[in-house]
Amino acid sequence: MPIITVNGKSVHIQELNKGAVETIVLVHGMFSNLSVYYFNIAPLLATKYHVVLYDLKSHGMSEKALEGYDLENMTNDLFALMEVLNLQKVHLGGYSFGGLIALKMAIRFPGRINKLAIIEAPDPNDDKTRGIIDEYSREFLEHYVENFTDTTKVKMGKRQMERNHRMYEYLFYQTSIKTDMKLEKDFFGSPAIETINKSTLLLYGTDSNCLNAGKHLDGMIKNVSLIAVPGDHNIPIQQPLVIAEALLNFFQEI
Amino acid sequence: MDTTTTKLSSEEIFNLMKQFITEVIGEEFVEEMDITPESSFTKDLEMDSIEIVSFSEKIKAHFGEQIDFTGWLSSMDLDQLINLNLGMIISYIEECQS
Repeated sequence: MPIITVNGKSVHIQELNKGAVETIVLVHGMFSNLSVYYFNIAPLLATKYHVVLYDLKSHGMSEKALEGYDLENMTNDLFALMEVLNLQKVHLGGYSFGGLIALKMAIRFPGRINKLAIIEAPDPNDDKTRGIIDEYSREFLEHYVENFTDTTKVKMGKRQMERNHRMYEYLFYQTSIKTDMKLEKDFFGSPAIETINKSTLLLYGTDSNCLNAGKHLDGMIKNVSLIAVPGDHNIPIQQPLVIAEALLNFFQEI
Repeated sequence: MDTTTTKLSSEEIFNLMKQFITEVIGEEFVEEMDITPESSFTKDLEMDSIEIVSFSEKIKAHFGEQIDFTGWLSSMDLDQLINLNLGMIISYIEECQS
């Protein structure tokens, strides 16, 4: 397991095709990990690019942290990771919460970003996004697993359920993630979004609850295109090759 | 990196895979399982995707350039990944060694 130290914390990273000239960094979503890209999306992008994946704090194999889940801190982490890996300028992609981190990076560190790809970033002010953060319980997880994992086809067994439950319990009740996220509720309404001047691709599911968030960003960012892909919020898992090809085409366009 | 070029038998590969699985998910869980070549990663071994990443890393570290395990996995769709079992990996490694 490649583990590096960033801001005094252990971070699990994966790098593919290290010798390539240009680099793509991909950021996963909340309660997920880098495996969302590892099996299909990253290998295809790595045919042309150096690809860097990392687990966010308290996710996957990275070290736990009690605080610092607001976008300012999450982008501080990514900036520091780029410093450690000596990445001066990268293409950046983010899925779901990782999409919000990617947007914030483009606002704060425009000189370090080439192109920007946002997959299914939710509006932090959306009722459903906040609802999940407000109402987590074991029953919620069991209901969620029972009703929604059919779109990703993977049923959780008992050990997985326990592992996930422990992660949710830790994040919701021991860390500052809930309060940090609530502070971000006005992010999509902030004028800062309109300052993003990077070539930006938005990928959203045609049946996703977040599609309106994509349309909103489409209206706010100048140099942007929105592609709706058949599927829901889980499009990177449902349509990994479609997503990978859309990303590859976008990053390769001159 | 303990890269090896020695050709392994299918039983040796199976035992090596069992060792990697034990390292990834922990001995206490493996003791309750009957791991066979038919064991599937997601259903029988209940490994989630980040555990399969760790498992893949162990295979890469052990066999090095000899096999492109991630490349092989990336050619599979979700159904194939879900149904992936130990026997399929053993056959793949055997093919790469021949």
